[in-house]
Amino acid sequence: MKKLVVLAAALTAVLAVALPGALAGPAANPGLTATSIKIGTTMPLSGAASLYAPIATGMRVYFSHINARRAAGDRKRGVYGRQIVFKVEDDAYNPVQTAQQTRKLVEQDKVFALVGGLGTEQQLAVRQYLNQKKVPQIYVSTGASTWGRDHKTYPWTIGWQTDYVSEGIAYGNYVRANLPNAKVAVLYQNDDYGKDYLYGFRSRAGRFIVATETYEAGTTSVSSQVARLRASGADTFLILAIPTPTIGALVTAYRLGWKPNLLVNSVSATDTFLGLAQASAGSADAVNGIVTTAYLKDVASPRYANDAQVKFYKTLMARYAPSANVNNGLYFYGMAKAADFVQALYRAGKAPTRASLMRAVENLTYKSPWLLPGAQIITKPSSAFPIRFQRLTRFNNGSFTEFGSLQRIR
Amino acid sequence: MRIAGRAGGYAALLVAIAVLPLFLGTFRTTQLTYVGAFAIALIGLNILTGHAGQISLGHGAFMALGAYTTAILSVNHGVNDLLTIPLGGIVAGLAGFLFGFPALRLAGVYLALATFGLAIVVPSLAKRFDEFTGGTAGILLDLPTSPIGGLTPERWLYYLTWAIAAVLFLCAILFLRGKTGRALRAIRENELAAVSSGVSLARYKTLAFGVSAFYAGIAGSIYAILSFIVNPGAFPIDLSILLLVGLVIGGVGSMLGVLGGAAFVEFVPLEAGNVPAKVIDALQRVGLPVSDLDPTTAGVPSVVYGIILLLVIALAPQGVAGLARRLGAATRRFYSRLIPTNKPGTPSRREA
Repeated sequence: MKKLVVLAAALTAVLAVALPGALAGPAANPGLTATSIKIGTTMPLSGAASLYAPIATGMRVYFSHINARRAAGDRKRGVYGRQIVFKVEDDAYNPVQTAQQTRKLVEQDKVFALVGGLGTEQQLAVRQYLNQKKVPQIYVSTGASTWGRDHKTYPWTIGWQTDYVSEGIAYGNYVRANLPNAKVAVLYQNDDYGKDYLYGFRSRAGRFIVATETYEAGTTSVSSQVARLRASGADTFLILAIPTPTIGALVTAYRLGWKPNLLVNSVSATDTFLGLAQASAGSADAVNGIVTTAYLKDVASPRYANDAQVKFYKTLMARYAPSANVNNGLYFYGMAKAADFVQALYRAGKAPTRASLMRAVENLTYKSPWLLPGAQIITKPSSAFPIRFQRLTRFNNGSFTEFGSLQRIR
Repeated sequence: MRIAGRAGGYAALLVAIAVLPLFLGTFRTTQLTYVGAFAIALIGLNILTGHAGQISLGHGAFMALGAYTTAILSVNHGVNDLLTIPLGGIVAGLAGFLFGFPALRLAGVYLALATFGLAIVVPSLAKRFDEFTGGTAGILLDLPTSPIGGLTPERWLYYLTWAIAAVLFLCAILFLRGKTGRALRAIRENELAAVSSGVSLARYKTLAFGVSAFYAGIAGSIYAILSFIVNPGAFPIDLSILLLVGLVIGGVGSMLGVLGGAAFVEFVPLEAGNVPAKVIDALQRVGLPVSDLDPTTAGVPSVVYGIILLLVIALAPQGVAGLARRLGAATRRFYSRLIPTNKPGTPSRREA
């Protein structure tokens, strides 16, 4: 039948398209030439988690800058004269798509390394695969403690930001020191991410907890949980949730007339998300006084308006992503991460290999100008937690003010 | 001649499928394995929607049942993952059969809504019973290995999947050929007329749901082995919708159209994000002053996906199968003009 012939022809066409790629032989150093280095990442550019897409843009902007500028040392553009080719693939926050896109980047595009892939479950899904293939999976965009804790088992994988357990500890210490009579109600996401946080908090302030409620990832409404937490008589509300449920919890608490001390995990306590909560509640009272932690400079804060690094960030954004909202800290986050990767790439040598890059990442210690003043990146093979300084910060009338001392974790 | 031609066409298709991986890299081979898995799911959905006329927006849920069966048995109980494939089909098939009973009372939009509910509930159930399912984190499977020396794991899974697909394709044709197929199509055309002709609605609708879900379960098992992870996030509502879209793209009711539909399900969501950059690149190469679009902008893949979908619906309203028929008819007209002595429509030319 004709349609069968048509189908067979279509298959042949696929074959013809795919042939050139299949015939390219295996290179000694995949993704690396004398003039370029190809790296990749997976990000949710579509779907519910696409609020995080600015991270990829921030990384791209920084790499564009590195590719265009002449380095202070060797006067070459890129890193040792190699242009950074940055491939971003959309995984829609679906781990099966992460697995496919990661395999595409490794097997088809032959990237040198994966940098900054987003999502705990998503990156867990490909950790075993990447370690078996000995492909660096570095600076994943998730704060689960497993990245640093299990680095010995998965030596090709490493995290970047302060981990959730350490952040939970910071909230526990805050409650102990500042709210000695607190009755704490906790809302947390019912998975490793939420439990990591809760574990950290409990280890310091477990006896202050009077009620806990959970929600399942993907849930949008947490109203009934908030109502039950309020009924517990708690005077302090710890929210360990991703942006959408966090906004819902803040708005519900405000509408119920509940005015507890608010503690919100840093992944949701950004100007952008708290601004959305304020707009939805119709009052700044819903978000004023929120305490969270920070490890990077705050691009939206007037305090950092004259900071050299923040100004530099804004210049780069204006040049390479002019339509973006520079007050969204996720761009800064992406750029800071890209900057650390470039630092590591320089330290991996003029003829880097995947192994030498991993060694450089495992030993990267330097005063990163993107971090809070006084903080630095400290990485050791035995303690693979690159960012280990954080500070408490309080949100009031649209901006954050850091307080207390700079805390070293781990 | 007609039968010989059909057999020849199938043989050509089989040969094409058999030799393709020899020319492909590991990633493309894996992608075509996913196409095989989706084809199995779509053959099943085609039985239910294409032939019995029952819309399902919940086939992702049946895939999830198959996938979880494979993951739980192979990881937690050490069962060989090959053996779990038929079991995944049976678990999903039973669930589909049982779902067929409440579905008896529903039709059209209401049935679509009920199946949609299934697609929402199953991933949530997986989160609830986390001692079995690993909760939100799910279950990580071992990386696939090949039991045959000299065959890469990618090719092994490719041939395995397509062999299963070929067998299940044949089964579907046999299933739909006789009395059962007629009964299902009678239900599709007019339930009342079917009942008054002695067709048992209860029997055939539950059967169609069961068989269809069995296929989805098999596809889900393979999906789990291929992806080496099973978790609730792997079975979003979008997957169920995408399967139905794939069936429409392939051509509802056409058994071969499912191949086109399966290719759509696999390739479009993954590649949509890269299309704008390629289009802009091509336009700039021919000298058009098109400005760069930031490829990392959120939402771009979804927009491209929507545009592709609209284009396919506009250009090939009867799906890939319809397009193939039209192409076939055009070729026949072309030949008959070339050789005027041959009367149009005679089969001798066509099968040449």
